[in-house]
Amino acid sequence: MTDLSKLEKWRSALSKCIRCGYCYDQCPIYKETGWEADSPRGKLILLYGMLSGEIEPSDYIANKLFECFHCNRCQKACASGVPIQDVYNDARAFLVESGFDVVGTTSRTDHDVCARCLNCIRMCEHDARKFVDGKVVTDVLKCQSCGSCFDICPECGVTIQRGFGTNPNELLNRVDTFLNDPNNPDAKAIVFSCGYSSYPGLKHAEFEDFVISKEYEILVTACSGRLKSHTVLESLERGAWGVLICCCPEDECEHGGSPRVKERMKNLTKIMERIDIDPKRVQVVEVPQGDEAKFLESTSTFMDDIRAIGPLSPEAETVGSKK
Amino acid sequence: MPGCQKNGESQLRNAGLILYLYVISRNAGDFLCEDGAMNSATIERLKKIVGEDNVLDNPADLYVYGSDSSVHEALPQVIVRPQNVEQVQELMRYANNEKIPIVPRGSGSGMSGQVVPVQGGIVLDMKGMNRILEINPQDGYCRVEPGVVDDDLNKALKPYGVFYPPTPASSIVATVGGEIANNASGGRSVKYGAARDAVLAVKVVLANGELLSFGSTTRVSASGYPLEKLMVGSEGTLAVIVEACLRFVPIPKMRCLGSAKFNKLSEAGDAIADIMGSGCQPSMLELIDKVAIIAVNKANNLGLPEVEAILLYEADGMAKEMIDAEIERIQKICKKHKGFDLESSYEAKERARIWAGRAKLFPSLSKYDESLASTSLADDMAVPFSKMAACADKIHEIADKYDLVMTAYGHCGAGCMHTKILMDTDKAVSWENAREAVREIYEFVRSVGGTTSAEHGIGLSKAAAFKKEKEASLELMRAIKKAFDPNNILNPGKLMDGPDDWVEETELRYQSS
Repeated sequence: MTDLSKLEKWRSALSKCIRCGYCYDQCPIYKETGWEADSPRGKLILLYGMLSGEIEPSDYIANKLFECFHCNRCQKACASGVPIQDVYNDARAFLVESGFDVVGTTSRTDHDVCARCLNCIRMCEHDARKFVDGKVVTDVLKCQSCGSCFDICPECGVTIQRGFGTNPNELLNRVDTFLNDPNNPDAKAIVFSCGYSSYPGLKHAEFEDFVISKEYEILVTACSGRLKSHTVLESLERGAWGVLICCCPEDECEHGGSPRVKERMKNLTKIMERIDIDPKRVQVVEVPQGDEAKFLESTSTFMDDIRAIGPLSPEAETVGSKK
Repeated sequence: MPGCQKNGESQLRNAGLILYLYVISRNAGDFLCEDGAMNSATIERLKKIVGEDNVLDNPADLYVYGSDSSVHEALPQVIVRPQNVEQVQELMRYANNEKIPIVPRGSGSGMSGQVVPVQGGIVLDMKGMNRILEINPQDGYCRVEPGVVDDDLNKALKPYGVFYPPTPASSIVATVGGEIANNASGGRSVKYGAARDAVLAVKVVLANGELLSFGSTTRVSASGYPLEKLMVGSEGTLAVIVEACLRFVPIPKMRCLGSAKFNKLSEAGDAIADIMGSGCQPSMLELIDKVAIIAVNKANNLGLPEVEAILLYEADGMAKEMIDAEIERIQKICKKHKGFDLESSYEAKERARIWAGRAKLFPSLSKYDESLASTSLADDMAVPFSKMAACADKIHEIADKYDLVMTAYGHCGAGCMHTKILMDTDKAVSWENAREAVREIYEFVRSVGGTTSAEHGIGLSKAAAFKKEKEASLELMRAIKKAFDPNNILNPGKLMDGPDDWVEETELRYQSS
């Protein structure tokens, strides 16, 4: 029998979870799959079940516990005050010590592709990557699944196996769905939003006096820093009139992605200018956590710009067609 | 006590085994293997119907789907997430043929064990059917699939200047299907009614797979048995709701929220009865008692005066004059019954301040005492307006008698009283006491002409009280159930077939000794 004593101190906290499910709407993982075991409530139930001996720990459960973007919205929303992230942290440590094979949303390095440039190690704000025996390895207990390493790898050797909607191909599928929706002729633009800062504010805004425009689709990345230039260009190629990226103010970004995405988009717009694509089509804006007014103001200004510029005309502006 | 004797790990495992054997003995169906798991042929068949990605049978998932927001738990054998009506029909035909219990489930936020699969079988996760099919402002209705979350529907309705009125406190998670099955309502039910008032028509799949439409999209419909309303509050025992046609109402342009304090609970109670009896039309009328005020102060340092009772009242509408008149009348009545410190405001910030005590109540109860957990027991009842204060008094008297902490709060404009039992869930004696307290509270509720559930439903934990209240009509209810579901596969063991002793006859999700 696995030693669960480390979790014993959380027994009372787990009993206090009244299982109201108010965390469901906060969790980006649950919102993506819709399965209840992917929600914070579901995960707390699993921990309670293991602690009480009603279910056995397994790789399946271990992976569920490691599927998390560490946005902490569940804990903030918890009516019962369960310290969810602290409980998770101890549970994760226990699962790793017990030898369970965990991947979850943590980043992985393809050692065949890795050029050993070690950029990912240098820039990881969470000290979650190490160079051991000639290989870059992830400390799964420290990795916060922000994807910064994913973006910085020059060889595309870093992957997050399950992106829950935040991986480039998943984002582009959504771009396609939105832009090609026959029921929404107003579809014009894509807003990539940091899952840590602007999105929580936006979620709050939705319940107040705010209705999302049908002209743009908000796609939530993890840290905005993981958004690749390619994804932005592809969005334009697939018919978006423009792309807005909402990131944290630099001093608030916990993952170091905010300055990088700004730099990257600056370079991208320079190239766009050279090939006669209006650089205003791609904009970056800083939105502090919970500041829905700033989010609304930014999207509104951006949409004014985009409407004035109009659609990307196939003759004049097809991406990559001009040098 | 099956739920209360688990000490060591081996005993815990035994308890799990007992649960399985219990399930097997209740079902004895061909769809089960000897160890109680669903056989692979059944799983394969279900995957064929809804697709591989929409079936779960990992023990971890089964465990999560075995509970809701109540004190109960029980394991299903499989979770199936249908995507459309045809799949529900095929699932029902198959389950009916094989006599597999099937429990429709929304988000599992119910507080009385409605979706706990006490006889195992299939949990039908309806959240996969979550499309808003039509919003028809001209004819005043919308059509939705059952898995649509209440808040999401209201977000979609907002541009039309209307809202779907039941709005329970759990609207961020509750699905429309679950709200209909439980006849949910919330703080504003005093003016806008419950789910039953909003349902115009439903499409349901019967146990035999037949698809039927009940009701009409018109505002009035005179004759015949209102089968669409029969679905409301049926807790998944009669049919699977696959589509609902709901009416909506205009979003009021302004609201005014006020409060009054009372030195005696009975004076607040008299004020409630007088307000409701005098033809006032508040959009909300809430009672918070002293235990609740202390809890809120303790957890949040709000510094509310610890008086015996606070009444919160709200009026809303399209014109300020009308709202002013309502508030004035309500305040006059409060004063008449010795209410003091009266205040009111239209300003959002001020309203938030006045509302803070009530807003923080639910979380405060969990933080009331580190050694106590807030359990959903005797969580919901309704009594006549004039009995609200007596009911609150009785709750405190019973809590003291059984050494439990209970508070009384509720949407008293609708006669709805809520409470929670705060107790040490690790101790078996707490459960014994809770059972007796629950029994006595509902005895009182019945004695004053009240009813067992105002808006949370019956499920398992209120079945005993429900059966006593509805004693004379239980057989008729069973006959209705049989007409809809002759093989008793739809959410068996609930409502009139629920347990007489919820502590002894059900698995509790808490461990105690």
